[in-house]
Amino acid sequence: MPRRMLAYVRQLPGGGSEMANTIDIRGHGVVKGYAEGEALVADTTLSFWGEVDAVTGKVIGVGHPLEGISLGGRVLVIRSTKGSSGTPMVLNLAQLEGNAPAAFVNVEVDGLAALGCIVNEIPMMTELERDPFGLIATGDHVVVDADEGVLRVTRK
Amino acid sequence: MFAIAALGFRRVVRMCRVLSLEAGLIRRAWRGPITIGSGITSWRVSIRSAIKEGFMELTGEQQAVLDGSRGDYLAKCMRWLVDWGEVMGAKRLIKVDNTHALLPVPNLMAQGASKETMDRYMADLVEACSHGTHPGCTCTVHAAFVTLDEVDVPENDPEQVQMQKDLAVLAADAGFIPTFTCAPYLVGNVPLKDEILAWTESSAVVYANSILGARTTRHGTESAIAASLLGLVPEFGVLLDENRKGTLRIEVTAELEDPPDWGALGYFAGKAAGLGIPVFNGIRRPSQDEAKQLCAALATSGGVTMCHIAGVTPEAPTIDAAFQGDVPEEYLTFDAETLRETYESLRVRTGDEIDSVILGCPHASINELSKIAALLKGKKVAEGVRLWIDTARGTKGNADRMGYTEIIESAGGRILCDTCPTNMRIPAKRIVTHGFKQAHYARGMVGAEVIIAKTDACIRAAVAGRWLGDG
Repeated sequence: MPRRMLAYVRQLPGGGSEMANTIDIRGHGVVKGYAEGEALVADTTLSFWGEVDAVTGKVIGVGHPLEGISLGGRVLVIRSTKGSSGTPMVLNLAQLEGNAPAAFVNVEVDGLAALGCIVNEIPMMTELERDPFGLIATGDHVVVDADEGVLRVTRK
Repeated sequence: MFAIAALGFRRVVRMCRVLSLEAGLIRRAWRGPITIGSGITSWRVSIRSAIKEGFMELTGEQQAVLDGSRGDYLAKCMRWLVDWGEVMGAKRLIKVDNTHALLPVPNLMAQGASKETMDRYMADLVEACSHGTHPGCTCTVHAAFVTLDEVDVPENDPEQVQMQKDLAVLAADAGFIPTFTCAPYLVGNVPLKDEILAWTESSAVVYANSILGARTTRHGTESAIAASLLGLVPEFGVLLDENRKGTLRIEVTAELEDPPDWGALGYFAGKAAGLGIPVFNGIRRPSQDEAKQLCAALATSGGVTMCHIAGVTPEAPTIDAAFQGDVPEEYLTFDAETLRETYESLRVRTGDEIDSVILGCPHASINELSKIAALLKGKKVAEGVRLWIDTARGTKGNADRMGYTEIIESAGGRILCDTCPTNMRIPAKRIVTHGFKQAHYARGMVGAEVIIAKTDACIRAAVAGRWLGDG
């Protein structure tokens, strides 16, 4: 969906709007920017330090619901990151290798993930008007417009 | 002065709505019931009253730096601090007295990365170290991913070691003290109460805020470097009195005897507190080593920035003071059974043979090295077992002169400086350790099974070559 088309989306009560196979969710852009990619959804927390490989972007946390999956280019829909000083460094290396998430969609914003997103220019959204875990599934295509505060989800 | 002129320039982030809750380090999108372990359970918007809007106020001089008066790199540093401050709800930048910054070559952290990635990563660090630290600001350096000592360890890539050594020289010229430790408070960087810090290393952040009464939010590489060079930090979170109020009451009935017992308490409480501030009631004053384990574990299982111990820590003469007069009636209890269960949660193993005993997480104090030397005196570490004790080079210098190093080395142990085996990514199959933080991260980072144990049980395991139980 081209970015300019978002303005034509029909508004629904509750802050969302829908077309045939797509849904819009309004929210707040913490770190501004625009990105799109395949959603990776888990109603859980994730520590970039110790649970994500900095180079491959793969989740290495033992027993983590996303274990073995690469975050590279994905729109990461999780509850929040767990804060570690190493978060921005891991994001930086992953970004340089092209394996950082395309965008973050978080329920809670951890300060160190916000710093990592600022430094690496990765958009971050929060305060969604509708439940992201009920509406977005892994594999859906998500357009993140953190400037306008809109997520456009196209179901797979 | 309100920096209206900067509005158009602030492209990347814009502070819109910030909830000043709890540690103030997070912006809570939905404030619903808080459950143990998982943070907020509701995704719904319920409270907007605490939301504030606005930009940070910058002085003319700060604005000038942002606009490039001191060059591109310092403008970028100022941009990081301003953007981060606005996201986190800061109203202004304030003077920082003391920083602890990450300046590491990545070593195996960047295993498989392209040359271009490495070059760009290193160029950023060299750029950071080519500017002087702010006059009057004490700046120490966090643990590295290599040891600068010559060791027969293949993971300690000589090329990376040389790069780290070169970087250390540049950093020292810039005014950083190359301590290379995760516990700067053990090697001379001991801030006073109310001192404003910008520290990386979450365990040290909890220690500085809770035990010493200094003030620091949790910093990352870039923010700590920017703070070191500019002498400024955005004022948010626990830098402000109102965000140092306890959020979770924990009554402790278990007897805590040894540093790892305090680690267990921290591991339990961190999981329960999430990003909040736990207040412990009913426990004695911990030793420095016990406090270190408590703080490290709090920052491992949760995102805790500080805690209080009623009747012990500087801002908690009473439980009432810890909660700023608002003591919650509900509380969690940490009893003997919970203590036992917390140990068991990090003792998932498929056998008793061990290949590694790792002590000194966070970096060992001289007191710990003396106790380990006493336990090891006249003994031999089993063939094929790696007994490593991690510490700062400053502490090892003391241990050398006091004879502890010789005792530990003649028993077959090694004192490892500047880093730790988890940072170095030393492969291991089954690790015995007294550090909850080490145990937690070693599973994912080096794929090992872990057994958490008290120091004397760790040494017994090292000598026997197998886990013998608590004994």
